[in-house]
Amino acid sequence: MIDEEMVDYRTVPTVCPYCGAGCGMLLEVCSGEVIGVLPMKGHPSSKGSLCAKGWSSPEFLKSSNRLAKAILREEGEEKEVSLESALGLVVENLNRVLEKYGPEAVGFISSARCTNEENYLLEKFARTFAKTNNIDHCARL
Amino acid sequence: MASDENVLLQDLTPIRIVAFLCNWCSYAGADLAGVSRLSYPANVVTIRVMCSGTVSPYHVLKAFQSGADGVLITGCHIGDCHYLKGNYMTYKRFQVIQGLLQFVGIEPERFRLEWISASEGEKFAETVRDFTEEVGKLGESPLADEREAAKSREALMRRF
Amino acid sequence: MSVKEEAKNLLGKGMDGVLFYQMKDGSAIPHLFTSKDIDEMPDVREIPDSERYPLSDILSKLLMRFSSAKFGIVARGCDERAIIELEKHQQIDTSRVSLIGFACSPELAKICSCSKPYTESLADEMNEAQEISRGIESVERMSTPARLGFWLSNFSVCVKCMGCRNICPLCFCKECSLQDEDLVESGVLPPSIPTFHLLRAIDMAGRCVMCGLCEEACPAGIPLRTLYGKVSEIVREELGYVPGTRGVKSPLEELGSSVGSDDDLKS
Repeated sequence: MIDEEMVDYRTVPTVCPYCGAGCGMLLEVCSGEVIGVLPMKGHPSSKGSLCAKGWSSPEFLKSSNRLAKAILREEGEEKEVSLESALGLVVENLNRVLEKYGPEAVGFISSARCTNEENYLLEKFARTFAKTNNIDHCARL
Repeated sequence: MASDENVLLQDLTPIRIVAFLCNWCSYAGADLAGVSRLSYPANVVTIRVMCSGTVSPYHVLKAFQSGADGVLITGCHIGDCHYLKGNYMTYKRFQVIQGLLQFVGIEPERFRLEWISASEGEKFAETVRDFTEEVGKLGESPLADEREAAKSREALMRRF
Repeated sequence: MSVKEEAKNLLGKGMDGVLFYQMKDGSAIPHLFTSKDIDEMPDVREIPDSERYPLSDILSKLLMRFSSAKFGIVARGCDERAIIELEKHQQIDTSRVSLIGFACSPELAKICSCSKPYTESLADEMNEAQEISRGIESVERMSTPARLGFWLSNFSVCVKCMGCRNICPLCFCKECSLQDEDLVESGVLPPSIPTFHLLRAIDMAGRCVMCGLCEEACPAGIPLRTLYGKVSEIVREELGYVPGTRGVKSPLEELGSSVGSDDDLKS
């Protein structure tokens, strides 16, 4: 028998973050680390199936290409900046473009990985603040 | 001259056959057929492998997918394998592949296994003649249409 | 003795954990029970028939990750067959595994068209298994072109999710033929048909333990059980091998002739 604290395997039911279909998946967690994914058999809509993206989702979870911090590209060089200053830059440029070219010149792209409520907020923001209908999201499958 | 024309005409028949020849027996047998000036249809594309046992089922499936109308595997007679037991493997795989091909609706006659030794040049020529004739009767592979469909699907995808 | 008591016994004998299902919001999900939460282990009757997972595959992962730990597993017939077959491929070290067997419900056995829905330890108590048709006959009754049409139309809806491979307890290769650029063109849907599906069918020869998880996981509803069932039938009839039985390895994995005499092959 080995150290009891070490041996741990559990599956955590969750929803696939890739698109709006919301398939049920189980994350296989071994001592705090995600080691794989299984389709959730009892899920009412996906009924034990996943697509290519769902099946490979543990790969992006640990990917070094994943953007975890705000990065600003200035004259071809990329440097890490704080989230506040990055957002400040967005606000500044958004205001400038809106003032100069009008609402049709800006657009918003949201994500299926955000919650329904967050997507609603962005939609509200686009239509009331920027007064544009240019809003879309990534899950146009 | 007349016989040359016949050979030329045979060349133009659209049947394509991929033949895997084992280096030690069947390739030498095919060589003997050539040296003995035995004629056989030129529809066969030969691929030399070190042993018929190295022919993976993947190779056979890939040959059919890439447009082969028939696949022929030839190897040493049982007991004569240069690697002692390579051709037993060939035979076992052959049975599984042929059964599977039949089950999915590809005529099993399109896939053949023959034991041809280095001294059997005549048997090689005869096997190729017979196999080409048999596949010729069946016509082009039913997967030919599927290839066309795949190409048009691909062209369609490229437009987007 | 209930499964929970047997599992407790195993933990008392020095096992590090017992792999089974945990009930969470009415669904069964795979879970490794240790002495801390063994009391929460459900009874086998509580596990819904439709919720099976490749426990043997998970066990193989755990054995590799915890190289000195010992595990128990509460297994169905198909899990046990997969463990036996995996051991023949050096993927599971059964000296570190204890198996508690249970039988599937007759309803599930019927849905799975399973001829042995119980583990070896329960074989004496069970009725003789009946011959099961997996839809093979109805395909064989078709004409040759109709068979090709049937399979191509089924294969053409494949979305290449690789679910059949991912969930398969016997698919353990580090490099997969289905991802070989030379065999299967990448970035095209459906994948090269019928090669893609036949590649997998060939790989299942002498391996498939007929758990049917692939067919359950297929979002396109391809009758994979029928396809692999036929491959298994060929291997059984021509080579005399049934995967998941104790004893010899698959003849497709070993050199030499394990069936028939040399004279049979010479003709």
